[in-house]
Amino acid sequence: MHDTVEAAARAAAQSAPHKPERPLLVLRPNRGLFDLDLASIWRFRELLFFLVWREIKVRYKQAALGASWAIIQPLFAVLIFTLIFGMFARIPSDGIPYPLFALTGTLPWTYFAEAMRRSGLSLVTDADLVRKIYFPRLILPIAMTIAPLVDFLITFVILLCMMAWYGVAPSWHVVFLLPLTLLASCLGLTMGLWLGPINVRFRDVMHTLPFLIQVWMYASPIVYPLSMVPAKWQALYALNPMVGVIEGFRWALLGTHSPNLVAIGISALVTLVGLTAGMVFFKRMERTFADII
Amino acid sequence: MSTTAISVAGLGKEYRIGTARQRHNSLRDLLEDRVKSLLRKRGGDDTRTFWALNNATFDIRHGENVGIIGMNGAGKSTLLKILSRITEPTSGVARIDGRVGALLEVGTGFHMELTGRENVFLYGSILGMPKEEIARKFDDIVEFAGISNFIDTPVKRYSSGMYVRLAFAVAAHLEPEILLLDEVLAVGDLAFQRKCIDFAKNLQQRNATILFVSHNMHSIKTMCERVIYLRKGEVQFDGPTEKGIELYEKDCRLSTLPWMKEDRESWPIEVTQCELFDEAGNPKTIFEHGERMRVRLTYNCRQPLVDPNFIVVAMRADEVACCNYSNETDGTSLGRIDGKGTIELLTPPLKLVSELYSISILVREKGFQKLLCAQAGPGFHVRHPLYDMHFGVFHEEAQWKVVA
Repeated sequence: MHDTVEAAARAAAQSAPHKPERPLLVLRPNRGLFDLDLASIWRFRELLFFLVWREIKVRYKQAALGASWAIIQPLFAVLIFTLIFGMFARIPSDGIPYPLFALTGTLPWTYFAEAMRRSGLSLVTDADLVRKIYFPRLILPIAMTIAPLVDFLITFVILLCMMAWYGVAPSWHVVFLLPLTLLASCLGLTMGLWLGPINVRFRDVMHTLPFLIQVWMYASPIVYPLSMVPAKWQALYALNPMVGVIEGFRWALLGTHSPNLVAIGISALVTLVGLTAGMVFFKRMERTFADII
Repeated sequence: MSTTAISVAGLGKEYRIGTARQRHNSLRDLLEDRVKSLLRKRGGDDTRTFWALNNATFDIRHGENVGIIGMNGAGKSTLLKILSRITEPTSGVARIDGRVGALLEVGTGFHMELTGRENVFLYGSILGMPKEEIARKFDDIVEFAGISNFIDTPVKRYSSGMYVRLAFAVAAHLEPEILLLDEVLAVGDLAFQRKCIDFAKNLQQRNATILFVSHNMHSIKTMCERVIYLRKGEVQFDGPTEKGIELYEKDCRLSTLPWMKEDRESWPIEVTQCELFDEAGNPKTIFEHGERMRVRLTYNCRQPLVDPNFIVVAMRADEVACCNYSNETDGTSLGRIDGKGTIELLTPPLKLVSELYSISILVREKGFQKLLCAQAGPGFHVRHPLYDMHFGVFHEEAQWKVVA
């Protein structure tokens, strides 16, 4: 959708200085490929805020244990990983206590997977809004990428407690967690931008997602270290953009060997290209959302 | 400031029939369809398109109140959806000068798990109100809705009436310069509808521009001085309300009732004429309370029917069926009918209160089975010296006596 402050209106306003002309909204078929209109997201920032707020509020309502689920879930996952992969399969963990190793991987992974899942489904979940209310549609996947940050922060606190328990002190590298988290957000949003419009058209996405998330998880160094991947597969493996993020988290928090710059670089590149293309794709598909959802 | 609030030129919206009617909800459907259309030689059917709105051109001045009327599928909602930016036009341009508020449905975006208070803020921001404005108007909104005791209760515990009242209370505190209203006023009971009209009138006094889509000619008459009548996506008439409604009602006569799903071409029987007379046989549309009415139906049977059941319903503007006559219930068997024919119903004295009614004609198979045809008939007035809708649906004299 296209809204512009018409040049003509401006000119008219300038020629008649006594009264500034109001901006004129012009609706016409949109043809521009790169007309992303990101400024409109800023104009709708309050709606973005309320949608994020709604997500956080609603998340654990009606659950007897409430927000403690945000603590139970990652702890339980790590417990299972530790039992199966750490104790039974004896998978090495780069000399780090296995629970700590697994939780550092689970932390960015769970956030990314949630951001991808929720932003990918957001348009269909809020189909009523899409059908009956105007707002920049990009707001929905963006809100769903921001909302799971709350769970992420809670898990992060658990991780800090666990580090204290094992007597591992973080180095100054922790400051890199910020850009790494941003990378995970952008990656989650990227997936949402691609999956969302497809899901509007084909609900198959909804059914494929859990499967995709599971496969992707095992294709990422969460329960096993990157060093376990055979050398000849390493290059191919690093194409998975989550490899750089997870390895980056381990390095920034636990100080495992030197940072894997190649993996992080690949991750950043994939995200940049994917996000830009995703925005264009999303904007292109956006026109028909209300008609076919 | 220009005097034009909305300027629409050559506006059109094209839908692909494949996507609008039988949308593919899964990839499998799509693949299946694609394969089928490959097998069918140049299966042109799938790529057929239709214009839900076609080449609409009109200007609306600031402060004007315009009703958009037309039958189902005439393009009314499409027009509002384009103007409110929910969907994009396929062709043409619309220029809008002023802050737009669009109410296509009351309560979209309410979340059941959140409390009334939380929903006021969420819904307000969805409708485009700044947070600070919602906070300022919060007390007014709650008072308007009349649910202050429940404001901190989750909305899922609300009755549907409370829910709509709260949603509407938020919407009623919008202060748009241009308001797009779609059939919103049709929800709720009559008292609520009146509240909605008051809201619109209040906006009118503040010189807001209102574009109002409705099937309810009564609300259109009270609110709008001008109507745009859409027919099959095109502007059929644009001018004074009375004339537009007259034209529309003429076109509506014997049209398919909106809820009828069966295609008219496939109906085994169709009513081709419906006329109203008084008892003596003079054509009439205004009846006195207590008068009898003759309804003469001319039909065309496309296949022989045995003992069909003709049903004539008097409907009020708010879709309340006030009374109902069926030849089967009244013990008249029509036997075997085929081709053209005419039947007549003589009602008992009409005891309805003063109001405008419209006739709906249904034909069913014997025993109130399968629906064969559903059409809208003409309208008629009933006059009662005292009683109107506020006193009930019908009025009959009763007997009173002092007992003690």
